[in-house]
Amino acid sequence: MTEVQDVQKHSVHTLVFRSLKRTHDMFVSDQRTIPALDEVAEKVKMRTKAKDMYGPFVHKVDELKALQRTRDLERLDDDSIQENGHESNALVPVTEESTATPQSSALSVIPQRKVVTIPKPKWHPPWKLFRVISGHLGWVRCVAVEPGNEWFATGSADRVIKIWELASGKLKVSLTGHVSSVRGLAVSERQPYLFSCGEDRQVKCWDLEYNKVIRHYHGHLSAVYSMTLHPAIDVLITAGRDSTARVWDMRTKANVHTLTGHTNTVASVISQATEPQIITGSHDCTIRLWDLAAGRSMVTLTHHKKSVRSVVFHPNLYMFGSASPDAIKQWRCPEGKFVQNLFGHNAIINCLAINSDGVLVSGADNGTLHFWDWRTGYNFQRLQAPVQPGSMDSEAGIFAMTYDKSGSRLITAEADKTVKIYKEDVTATEETHPVIWKPDLLHSTRRY
Amino acid sequence: MSLINSLPKPTQDDVNEEERKSFSAPIILMVIAPSYDQKRGWIAQNQENVCSKYKDLITSEITEDEDRCLQKPGEEKIQDTVERTRKALERVTNSKISAAMPVRAAPKQAPAQYIRYTSSQKGVVFNSEAEQRIIRMVEVQKDPIEPPKFKINKKIPRGPPSPPAPVMHSPTRKVTVKEQNEWKIPPCVSNWKNAKGYAVPLDKRLAADGRGLQPTHINENFSKVAEALYITYRKAREETETRAQMKKKIAQKEKKEKEESLRGIAQKAREERAGIISGITSLGNYDDNNDNVRKRELLRRERHNKRTRDRNLNRTNPEKMRNKLFKERERDISEQMALGLPAKRTMISEGQYDQRLFNTSKGMNSGFGYDEFYNIYDEPWRKTKDMVDYIYTGPRGAFRKSSGRSGPLKFERAEEDPFGLDQFLTQAKKAATKRPYEEKFREEKRKRD
Repeated sequence: MTEVQDVQKHSVHTLVFRSLKRTHDMFVSDQRTIPALDEVAEKVKMRTKAKDMYGPFVHKVDELKALQRTRDLERLDDDSIQENGHESNALVPVTEESTATPQSSALSVIPQRKVVTIPKPKWHPPWKLFRVISGHLGWVRCVAVEPGNEWFATGSADRVIKIWELASGKLKVSLTGHVSSVRGLAVSERQPYLFSCGEDRQVKCWDLEYNKVIRHYHGHLSAVYSMTLHPAIDVLITAGRDSTARVWDMRTKANVHTLTGHTNTVASVISQATEPQIITGSHDCTIRLWDLAAGRSMVTLTHHKKSVRSVVFHPNLYMFGSASPDAIKQWRCPEGKFVQNLFGHNAIINCLAINSDGVLVSGADNGTLHFWDWRTGYNFQRLQAPVQPGSMDSEAGIFAMTYDKSGSRLITAEADKTVKIYKEDVTATEETHPVIWKPDLLHSTRRY
Repeated sequence: MSLINSLPKPTQDDVNEEERKSFSAPIILMVIAPSYDQKRGWIAQNQENVCSKYKDLITSEITEDEDRCLQKPGEEKIQDTVERTRKALERVTNSKISAAMPVRAAPKQAPAQYIRYTSSQKGVVFNSEAEQRIIRMVEVQKDPIEPPKFKINKKIPRGPPSPPAPVMHSPTRKVTVKEQNEWKIPPCVSNWKNAKGYAVPLDKRLAADGRGLQPTHINENFSKVAEALYITYRKAREETETRAQMKKKIAQKEKKEKEESLRGIAQKAREERAGIISGITSLGNYDDNNDNVRKRELLRRERHNKRTRDRNLNRTNPEKMRNKLFKERERDISEQMALGLPAKRTMISEGQYDQRLFNTSKGMNSGFGYDEFYNIYDEPWRKTKDMVDYIYTGPRGAFRKSSGRSGPLKFERAEEDPFGLDQFLTQAKKAATKRPYEEKFREEKRKRD
């Protein structure tokens, strides 16, 4: 009982570190709050400042006060006078609030910072590999889901577009026609059309009722790497290695606009119905927001340090995300205001996808998948699916991915010639997969 | 239609006042219509808002308060934007399509305009005395397929590019060695393609082809068959070897015997030539042949002379003698020479003739009979003496003459010692023993035993 227990000896470094940590834990709850004001000191400060800055007419305040007092008295006398607007003879126009309590008006000079509470990340169930579809003979480079969510299409480096049933994973149709690898696919919501673009500079329009090419959009000077359809207008936008994005009229095949401005390959193009209607990410490390009506660039975002390979719209919020090997960045929409960085995926990120639940996925060239909470930028899962047997480890790589229309399945197009489908783990709960999250105070104000 | 009309209104109209307030960051708004500069031409105002402040660099965390401004604009607003965009795009599209059309429809003329004109100058001279007149303005009809009046095939220089956007990231850092190493990408090599011809380690090759994925099972019968085959093969080899050896031995033996017999015959012949007559015959013929003695005497002398000549030669000229000996040693005196056979004619120089045709005056008719008549092989081919005649000529030519024999020498059993001479001689030889009766006794004893 009386025996003194030995204190475990630690190195000074450990002790200091622990102390730091404890301190950090103590103050984490009220970080960014300003310490309570010392009233005496504040009063002295205010007086000094008043004398220094407003010295010549500081006495006027007293006069005003006196005046106010008398007026109050008058008001007490005569309740019928309600308006104060007619007293414009004062030198400084005084508003109601400032006259009410001069003490507080002095205090309001200090910009009162709002107490920012750091939002906690929402819990998302982890994702797991659900199905591997093998059938392509080359790298699978692009994937698109049909609006009815019945099937999806994949384009591959073996020059074939394959259409798979989403529910069963069975092959429905193989479309041949491209003479080089297929790099972009899009399914129209309003027509029975499938659009594809490839490294052969061709942009094709397939009629899915006949499974035949019905139109070519001719004009790109080099390989076409990405394409998108405008959700409300019948135009399609393609972008590629000739560092332009081209807007095509779907029916007449006319090249409506050629969006020039990028100085390198345009890797990704997306469009939405509101401004900005087109966003492109390019290998010249910039993102451009385009005015579709005028066919010119509105904003150029140069925050990225490395080439931007993917941009993606948030399905609900008025935001978009962009991925480059240095960081994933989030932006607010109409004017492209920078929101935050998501660090941690140290690889060449090829593709991004967001579902309406707020799960952002980034897929990289080395086959890693990172799952992020959109709001907080918390990386809740890291995945790397094994390559299909017969391929080397270096053949792991994710080129494209998309959620299905419901957002419950993630379809990835990979370098091991397979298409993989992921789904949420239904057995997982918050207890089995807890959110291990620390507010990154150091990086909260991180720039760039 | 002016260019200003064709361009849509700046997008700032979309951002209404309250939204604009809600943005925490100040947006630099420059609502500038495209302006025309006398020197530079149209100045494109591409960049409408430019991020250039420090505030544009730092993160602005999303909190619940800001949710409102993160929501997408309302349905009407979207509809409005879409409509506006569509119209602008349609306009561009139409102009592009019409330019591409081979034949255009004649442009519709604008409706006639009527202008009420009041002249400022009044008087009889002016305006034909009218106070006012109404003027009808009609556009001149244009030929729809008239070629353009002005050359427009010149390239119009591009407008100035938009000013460079401010760089909003830190300068790139120098790559460290570690990073450089991370970026070392292994060469692209597969089982099918190896364009640069890299050497792929064997284990990598095996790992890549997926052969090791299935366990290989070889039926043990393969090994059994292989072993059995090996054993039978070896046995067969041994047997053939022994057989070959046996054959060889037999052949050798036969050859030896043949040689022996030949040598024996040759020896005999030589002896006969040399006049050495073996014991019994010579003894038997001793008396009745003086001629033989003389011959022998002659031969002996001859040999003696030869020996003396050789000796003299050896003494006087040993060199020559040696040469002679050497020559003699080299000289082949084969059995056939010793036997006195005729030299083999290896080549027949002349053609051979059918002898039946010789000495006939009738030619072919005399030699050959009619078809059924067989006279081809009825005679021996060569009428020369058989080889046997040469070999078994017997010791003396007279012997043949007397007997008139033409075939080989026939051996007859000799008569059983008519004079008892043989017995006598053998007894005479044995008489060397001193005690003949003892010998006899011993013989008898042997018989008894």
